[in-house]
Amino acid sequence: MTKILVIDDEANIRLLYKEELQDEGYEVALAANAEEALKAIETAEPDLITLDIKMPGMNGIELLRKLKEDKKDIPVIICSAYGAYKQDFQVWASEAYVVKSADLQELKTTIKEVLDAS
Amino acid sequence: MIQETALGLEILRDVARISNSTLNLDEILAQTLDIVKNKLHIDACSIYLIETENEQPRLKLKASSGMPEGAASNIYLKPGKGVTGWVAQNKKTLALSDALQDPRFVYFPEIEEERFQSMLSVPMLYQDECIGVINVHTLAIRFFSPPEIAVLETLSGQITGCIRNALEFQRSQLLLKEQTLLYDISLAVQGTMKMDHQLWILLTGITLGGAGGFNRALLFLTDDQSKVLQGYMGLGPDSPEAAGYIWSELRHKKGDILHWILTESDRNEYQQSAFNSLAQSLTIPLKPGTHVLAETALLKRPFLIDHPQEHSLVPREFAKLLGSDSFAVVPLVPHQETLGVLLVDNRYNNAPITDNDMALLTRLTTHIGWVIENSRLFNKLLKSNQELLSTKEQLIQSEKLAAMGELAAEVAHEIKNPMVSIGGFTRRLRDQLSHLCQDPNLANLLDSPIQYSGIIINEVERMERLLNNILQLSQAEQLELEDVNINELILEVIKSFQVGIQERTIELKLHLPREKEVLPIDRSKIKQVMINILSNAMESMPRGGLLQISSLPYVYINDREMLALCFEDSGGGISQKTFENIFHPFFTTKATGTGLGLSISRKIVESHGGALELKNNPNQGVTVYLYLPLQNPANYNKN
Repeated sequence: MTKILVIDDEANIRLLYKEELQDEGYEVALAANAEEALKAIETAEPDLITLDIKMPGMNGIELLRKLKEDKKDIPVIICSAYGAYKQDFQVWASEAYVVKSADLQELKTTIKEVLDAS
Repeated sequence: MIQETALGLEILRDVARISNSTLNLDEILAQTLDIVKNKLHIDACSIYLIETENEQPRLKLKASSGMPEGAASNIYLKPGKGVTGWVAQNKKTLALSDALQDPRFVYFPEIEEERFQSMLSVPMLYQDECIGVINVHTLAIRFFSPPEIAVLETLSGQITGCIRNALEFQRSQLLLKEQTLLYDISLAVQGTMKMDHQLWILLTGITLGGAGGFNRALLFLTDDQSKVLQGYMGLGPDSPEAAGYIWSELRHKKGDILHWILTESDRNEYQQSAFNSLAQSLTIPLKPGTHVLAETALLKRPFLIDHPQEHSLVPREFAKLLGSDSFAVVPLVPHQETLGVLLVDNRYNNAPITDNDMALLTRLTTHIGWVIENSRLFNKLLKSNQELLSTKEQLIQSEKLAAMGELAAEVAHEIKNPMVSIGGFTRRLRDQLSHLCQDPNLANLLDSPIQYSGIIINEVERMERLLNNILQLSQAEQLELEDVNINELILEVIKSFQVGIQERTIELKLHLPREKEVLPIDRSKIKQVMINILSNAMESMPRGGLLQISSLPYVYINDREMLALCFEDSGGGISQKTFENIFHPFFTTKATGTGLGLSISRKIVESHGGALELKNNPNQGVTVYLYLPLQNPANYNKN
């Protein structure tokens, strides 16, 4: 089963994403910060990561860079509350960028596209 | 002998009386003539004074007695010429019993000198300088005795002092008048900062009469770019009749120029005068050797032109236009640069332009030069001040936006996450409730909960839209430029308003660019701008009206050629307060609206290098001007 790691500091967002993505038939692992995420990547070996940017401690962009530097070959979808980071060239390293919305349709479609492409 | 001494004393007493009674030159001369005629028992008497106003000094007959009336007006002698000229040059008395036979004698028919047999001519010496000559004439031959000669020489010596005093007084009167004029003019000039008004005051001063008053004055300003002198202002009567009227009016006002100028309300009248129109129609190329005006400007020196019709530096046409016998031109050179030239003439009274006039004119033109210089500096200052102000305003606007952006990003992030949770879980709630509804026992019970969760979902969507608007505002616009046919885009936008236009019976008038206009723009963003403009216009006309979309001639903004589109509604315009705030983020008059529409629109247009302007016509409608560059700036990076 395809496994997705959801990295977000907001517990409710993690819960929402988990339930919605499980309904879509994915297995979902959760991490509340970069540290947890790095552990989860080792243990859960996800096929795809959704990554929030604004988090306490190491933020999403720094984590993204670390993952790419470590040559972790896992596709990453940035999931941010706002689109301004699209201008930041560092996020171009990610596979996709989705602005958070209560309507998760865009996220689900993007996940499908990214998985199909990889 | 005693008799002659008594006569001498008598004459001295009379002269002393003159010198104590008057400073008026004409009176002094007339009374002197009386004394000479009565005491010396001669038939005629004349007084010549040396005039030094012009370069060549000359003797002018100033007063006479026993000669034809009015003879004194036009008799001039060069020193050395004629008996009188000889006396003036040699500073020696000459007694001629048979004057007609003397080789030095010059015959003037106007004063019928040939009637007189003998003459005695005495120089008027002041500190060894000759200022004039007194002549006495007799019809019969007469031998003047040494005592008689001595008496006339004494009288001449005494009267010389009186005349000197009178001349000095006249000169200082003139100077005082000039100074008063200059003072009044400079006071009046200081009363205003408008160049045209200041120049008007100065030219009025020049043509006002009084000291050095000319009939007309014509001001030319240098145009450095096209290298021409451009007629700028002309002041003076249009006809001899008008001149007569103005001067008789002026006689009442003279002496209080300042008051008159300051209370003069009809100063714009000169603008309609034919002479001013003539002035403004004149353009003279600044080429050397072609025109006296160009020469004046180039050589930076004044010219006094007599008989302009025959002057090599005055084109016939120009001489004909002016129609005066002589005119003077002085350059306006406050520093090194020639700002222009001033031409004056006495077209109507034909008074000669004297050296004195030229001196005063030079002083006045210094003032004119300063005025123009000051005004140019002032305008420069005003312009840069305005630029500064608008830059400051723009800065405030962009600072506001930047601050807004930061705040918005912060707020958005904080709000967006809970919003996503609320909205997301409500969706899940609704989906699960809908699922439960399949059980007919529960369907009735769940109607309202499903409806309520729908409301929450909708409201969350609305809030998300608002947040996205804010975020769009705070992030730099990234343009995706492509060549877009602007006509097609306008028609496309109109199409989306078709229903509203028909429902509200709005009359639509289109004056679109005739040719295919293809612009490098971000299609979706400019479309958003147009939709914004049109929806504002539609909302201002709920009960119908006229909507006009026109293409205007190209304009240049910041050196770039722009397509100009104009959207005009008849919705009655907006209030001043609304107008002032219309581009402020979050300002809105609508019940449902974020107030971000025009603010974002302007940002989009400006990121294209264009401009969005609004004109409010109270009680009529609002006109929106949309300017978009026809071409990409060369350095514009598409990415």
